[in-house]
Amino acid sequence: MSDTKNRIWVFIEQENGVAHPVSWELLGAAQKLAHDLPDASVEGVLLGQNVRGIADEAFRYGASRVYLIDDPALAYYRNRPYSFGISNVVKKYAPNIFLVGATSLGRDLASSIATRVRTGLTADCTELAIDKEKKILAATRPTFGGNLMATILCKTARPQMTTVRPRVLPTPKPADGPVAGEVTSEPLGMTEAEVGTVLLNFIPSEEEESIEYADVVVAGGRGMGSPKGFGLLKELADALGGVVGASRPAVDAGWISYAHQVGQTGKTIRPKLYIAAGISGAIQHRVGVSGSDFILAINNDPNAPIFGIADFGIVGDVFQVVPELTKQIAAGDQPLATSN
Amino acid sequence: MADRPIHIVVAIKQVPDTSNVRINPQTGTLIREGVPAILNPYEVHALELAVRLKEQHGGKVTVITMGPPAAVEALRECVEQGADRGILVSDRKFAAADTLATSYVVATAIEAIHKEDPVDLLLFGKQAIDGDTAQVGPGVATRLNVPLITYAVKVEKFDPENRTAIIHRKVERGVEILQTTLPALLTVEKEIAEVQRAPLPNIIRAAQYQPEMWTASAPVAFDVAQIGIKGSPTIVGSAGTPPLKKAGAKVTASEKGVAETVKMALAEVRRVKGEG
Amino acid sequence: MTKLTFDAIVVGAGPAGTSAAITMAKSGLKVILIERGRFAGSKNLFGGVLYTEAIKEVLPDFAKRIPSPPFERPVTEQGYWLLSPDSVVRFMHKSESYKKEPADAYISLRAKFDEWYAAQAVAAGALLITKTTVTDFIKDEKGRVVGVQTDRPEGDVYAPIVVLSEGVNNLLAQKLGLAKMDLPPRLVALSVKEVIGLPQPQIEQRFGLNGVKEGVAIDIFGDATLGLPGTAFIYTGKTSISIGMGLLLEEFVQHNLHPHEVLARFKSHPVVKPLIQGGESLEYGAHLIPEYGYDRMPKLFADGVLVAGDAGGMVDALHREGTNLAMTAGRMAGETAIEAHKQNDFSAKFLREYRRKLDDSFVMKDLKQYRRMTDFLDETPHFMKTYIDFANDAAMRYFNAHGLPKRDMEKGIVKSLGQRRNFMGVAKDMMKLMRGMGI
Repeated sequence: MSDTKNRIWVFIEQENGVAHPVSWELLGAAQKLAHDLPDASVEGVLLGQNVRGIADEAFRYGASRVYLIDDPALAYYRNRPYSFGISNVVKKYAPNIFLVGATSLGRDLASSIATRVRTGLTADCTELAIDKEKKILAATRPTFGGNLMATILCKTARPQMTTVRPRVLPTPKPADGPVAGEVTSEPLGMTEAEVGTVLLNFIPSEEEESIEYADVVVAGGRGMGSPKGFGLLKELADALGGVVGASRPAVDAGWISYAHQVGQTGKTIRPKLYIAAGISGAIQHRVGVSGSDFILAINNDPNAPIFGIADFGIVGDVFQVVPELTKQIAAGDQPLATSN
Repeated sequence: MADRPIHIVVAIKQVPDTSNVRINPQTGTLIREGVPAILNPYEVHALELAVRLKEQHGGKVTVITMGPPAAVEALRECVEQGADRGILVSDRKFAAADTLATSYVVATAIEAIHKEDPVDLLLFGKQAIDGDTAQVGPGVATRLNVPLITYAVKVEKFDPENRTAIIHRKVERGVEILQTTLPALLTVEKEIAEVQRAPLPNIIRAAQYQPEMWTASAPVAFDVAQIGIKGSPTIVGSAGTPPLKKAGAKVTASEKGVAETVKMALAEVRRVKGEG
Repeated sequence: MTKLTFDAIVVGAGPAGTSAAITMAKSGLKVILIERGRFAGSKNLFGGVLYTEAIKEVLPDFAKRIPSPPFERPVTEQGYWLLSPDSVVRFMHKSESYKKEPADAYISLRAKFDEWYAAQAVAAGALLITKTTVTDFIKDEKGRVVGVQTDRPEGDVYAPIVVLSEGVNNLLAQKLGLAKMDLPPRLVALSVKEVIGLPQPQIEQRFGLNGVKEGVAIDIFGDATLGLPGTAFIYTGKTSISIGMGLLLEEFVQHNLHPHEVLARFKSHPVVKPLIQGGESLEYGAHLIPEYGYDRMPKLFADGVLVAGDAGGMVDALHREGTNLAMTAGRMAGETAIEAHKQNDFSAKFLREYRRKLDDSFVMKDLKQYRRMTDFLDETPHFMKTYIDFANDAAMRYFNAHGLPKRDMEKGIVKSLGQRRNFMGVAKDMMKLMRGMGI
């Protein structure tokens, strides 16, 4: 493979041999960026123990090469060996752009890499583009709790690094069959004794399905009034085969747990159908859900900001509208076409 | 086993209260007047943890912040909460620093503190509510070459004698229980410690406390190439209010009745999604 | 653990408390000033106007301090508006002699001024503690106050004398039995105000002011409070207007009025609306004002305790005076405390001296003179509406009598009064008014 000028790298995050879908979203974004950069290639960086198989998935999602560091000290994530190994590879191959998923792992890792190689890092980007004139990455991100969007440039330091939250970017379609690609193996260069931290135990949480990847989310805000109000939303969510979400005020009031919080301070979601019931729609919330395909808002305040982004808004009493929605959906034989 | 006195450093930031922030629609910049400056909420809890550990083991808590002169107020609030020493690292030359330059300044300052008085634990908040990057803590840990544990929610065991601790770290799918050597750097969630009302003697002490002021040249000589704008690989190209979706139809339920309105809504969903 | 001990404790860093603290600290006493708000002034709100005479008595060089006191505008014009539903009769006074510096009175904002004022206490050597609430007293075996408890751990503070300037919500004074009532609706007013931001040139144009060294303070009666006995006001700030109204709590309850609706109605009055048009609402708040009157004021001293300011009901609402009474009383409390220290006598018997100082001053003299005012307004609830509407009507007739024989116009005026109130009633009202004014 010819040596390209502009390597666009994506960190392939994996846990227990399973790749995190954000890695594929980033490969999709990397492909788009590659169109606007001369002589560009999309490559993945993969660390772990016995994870060679994941490289093949990466090829199907568009990587032409995967740099692999396979070592027992990388069996599970810890900051030091991961950032050390990756930094060595970065220094050796000098990529132009490096994208990392903003998961708790990614946010732990990215700044360490950027610090080791003395480069710029922009966190939680919602938009990535190549500046046409300067041919550099323009990374847009929310600041001040989502009240202000800033576009950040890293003019000279390399690689230009950013993290992107899961579900902010679309998932590309993978190739149908296997795709060939190159695997470049690199050593870790660090022993277990040098790591300093050891995982003693892991306690899985009891949460149900993740809200981030749900196709239908039925969310409630302050207007739901109580945990009982959320019961109505659960019925609607069940009828639609979706999950229940909540705006920050409802979580702060203790009506539902933080795991259900959608919005900038909770989870960014882009479901096919988002129903906002009794949510006024502060900007932090709107930015976190505006990627939804269809937004249906219900609020008894005609001036609620949520109506500004709703594809269809109902000004009315949630306690009448929500049960009516559940009733008509349960009775209807026409599918809502939300599962394609 | 006698506890030896410990030294904990907490890095804090004074931030605008972003729940009260307004943006100037013409310039796309923050309207700062009338917005109260607060101690970043995550650091309030980090400091509380430090104070509790100090109460258990004996020792002291040093708070450090890189910021404008007004940040002395935040340091005084930290002394109210139980910190013993407050250091403000402030200089025009630090201005417009991105996270790389900031982590350089904070790490260099902590190194100087550590030389005088060895540090057992470094505490940062998970993220600052203005920048929301969560990058400075990990950057400092990397520079100081200490183990990093982000999203810490509990200190199960803290054993400075044997230079070891057990920390709970919250990730998406659950909680990791990690053992680490000391010193280590933790970035913490609010659950790490519940803030209690500060005792009156602390308040009195804080009212009379004068934080130490460090500049870019004294008592520590920072490398000018690594601070402020010069030391920042990233810059803000432009800023503005977030773009939003355009609104569709809005119907008042009482006009056509709830049932009819819901029917209309579902028909619209089918229409849009059917095309999609 | 060592006890926290001071020469004096001051509860509340408002005008009364801070004046006491400054007075005592200047004379070398170790003073702790305990404020429950986040900063001195955060819990305070008034119209309002500050009177520099009172400030000068506490801080003779107040005008020369750096930073200088944060006043908005000097009062160079002031007076009354008698508002009826669609018109107004104005009595305003303007004079060149208002233009001295420092002025006699300044329109001010309390959050700024109180903070500055408390900083002067710190400069004098007092210890200012905020975000801490005094919750109770510490008494010795003889029941004398020797300190206070606060809402913080290890929060007991000791001092032989406590100046109690906790404000209108005088729970501590009630705890000591000095105040017998807890905010009785008939004796407490609720005042609501809004600070509306407007560009400086626009304010000056609308109110006829020639630059930032001129300001106007208007007190308004009549339709502003729906003809009920209450007051409203408009005061010009530098880049803002303070506009508000107040009524006795009982009036709100009896007539089923919501304060924000009454203020909104006042703001939309045809005479008022153009003055605040296009402004931005910067602050909206409410505060209670004690109107006990001289005969029902709390007791102002006890063993180890002196009460000053709103906590002691020291407000002369008729003359728009409260902060100056508070400052004067605070100063006198401070002076009494200094003397008590000299004599090492903090007994109620000695502290009676404080009451004597107050009695000799305008504070008690004015409160005593107008002691029947609240009763008068209570007994003649129609008073404002009747006479203010009449005044407006009379003015309308008087000024629009072109072509009408003037005698007919004059008869018309008298008749219109007679229609509102028979002459016997008018005479009675006038007599009651005179009694209410202490004449």
